[in-house]
Amino acid sequence: MTWMTKKRSSVVTEPEWNQQDLEWRLCHALDIAKQVVERLALNGYIDSADPGNNLRPEKLISETALLLFAASSAASHDTVKARIKTLAQMLIPHARSERMLLGVCLQPALAWDYAQAHVFLSRLGYQDAAFDQLLQQSADSQAKDGCERVPYRMLEQEWVRSNWNPSASRSRKLTRTSASNSVLNRSMDLLNGSREDIYAFTHALVYVTDFNVQPRRLPRSRSVILAEAEAALARCLEEQDYDLGGEVLLAWPLTCKSWSAAAAFGFRVLAGVEDKAGFLPAPNTRLQRLSELQGDDRTKYLLATAYHTAYVMGLLSAAALQPERTPPAQIPTSGAIDGSANKILAFFDAGAHRAHWLDELYKLKDAERDAVAGLLLTIVLRLNIKRREFGIVRKLLEVGYSMGLANSPVSSQAAEMLERLSIYTQVARARRSENQEEPGGAPPPSVALGPEARQN
Amino acid sequence: MSNRVNHQEIVKRLLDAKVVDFSAIGKTFAEIGPSLALADEPWEGWCGTMRGFIRILVVNPGLPGVENLGALRGATGELQK
Repeated sequence: MTWMTKKRSSVVTEPEWNQQDLEWRLCHALDIAKQVVERLALNGYIDSADPGNNLRPEKLISETALLLFAASSAASHDTVKARIKTLAQMLIPHARSERMLLGVCLQPALAWDYAQAHVFLSRLGYQDAAFDQLLQQSADSQAKDGCERVPYRMLEQEWVRSNWNPSASRSRKLTRTSASNSVLNRSMDLLNGSREDIYAFTHALVYVTDFNVQPRRLPRSRSVILAEAEAALARCLEEQDYDLGGEVLLAWPLTCKSWSAAAAFGFRVLAGVEDKAGFLPAPNTRLQRLSELQGDDRTKYLLATAYHTAYVMGLLSAAALQPERTPPAQIPTSGAIDGSANKILAFFDAGAHRAHWLDELYKLKDAERDAVAGLLLTIVLRLNIKRREFGIVRKLLEVGYSMGLANSPVSSQAAEMLERLSIYTQVARARRSENQEEPGGAPPPSVALGPEARQN
Repeated sequence: MSNRVNHQEIVKRLLDAKVVDFSAIGKTFAEIGPSLALADEPWEGWCGTMRGFIRILVVNPGLPGVENLGALRGATGELQK
């Protein structure tokens, strides 16, 4: 393992993506999962200082089972296989505890939520006929559908159920109705959408593709979905939201055999962050709080705040370990336009914020940097829309269009926004004129246009 | 990039000027809270959704950035391999 030692050294600046590297990352996530099950699976976690960190045991038990299921696709690696076996045996008593059985028994509308870990353990060969019997009763009850769910949550229910009895599932080539109703089948709001919207997108994709075990047909073309995934990736990188960013990156290995330049770059950023921190961190792990805690309290806090992002890196590594799904060692440069990255970066104002993606960008060769110019355009467009610098947005679109980079959903949504603003301005001016004619009339609120727009 | 307002500065100036009397607000809530809790009006009325009560909103400040990566590595031995 000489290579692994080198990779984790600060001397090596360009990590290489190979099977050993991905295997190491997946094993690292599985090792963290082992600690999570040991420390938190029984009672979850209560954070009296920050309730946002509270964690129900059912959630982490289900997510650990999901990690196991994803890891099973890489079980041909002995190190992974051994960890799956150990972790599965640790998880079984929690996945099939009295608490879970009672949940399935008393709340049939939530039965698949309580049974999720049981289902995936069964899929891995760890079956339990008694649990299945109760689950069947609950799944056949009158109240089984007595809970209103959004489409991606409906997809989750269908996905868990189909994994419970995979041979009985209907043709995998069909697109699920829930998938057609989900965000996978409609354009996301890439400029103002919420984090939860991206969350719905990434989860729906996992449920439809089934981690490539028995994937179903996507409700829209893969290229359109991946174009939106790139926009979501840009946002996650800029916001250092690696939890969601890792989920977004799953879109490539779960839907196709090639990684775009932007996706390869995104993977590189996340891997670099993981190498520097020792795990893929989330913002809710705070050093100040860690320094205030000791012993078991400290370890539990750390695991509760860090496990999810670590699991996401494990899921991503597992998917990338599948045949022909590995990210490229170098950023693909076909189609890169000379000097395009610098032209976009001329509009970028990092301010005091030093993003990790920027550090990684400056390590790239010129051609590699130009290959991700489309991603840079998305990042800079979003930043300027957030700042309401619409004049800069217009100039960016012009520059992007001149280089053939504006053929993206973010650029077209930004152009639509400028069109709407143009109409808004006309309406606002008309109202202002009317109000000025009336004695004491107040002017309408005006949109905060940036200095560039005011000049034009 | 110019013409920005510093919200923190404005908030600090308002607080320093004691524009808002938090003690008085708390006292008022304490006095009228029990009767409002039993009133026929919907709960939302208390929050000011439909009526002009004082609104106290905790606006999601968004995610903070992740901590310094090197410092995280140094402080999280449990997660290192």
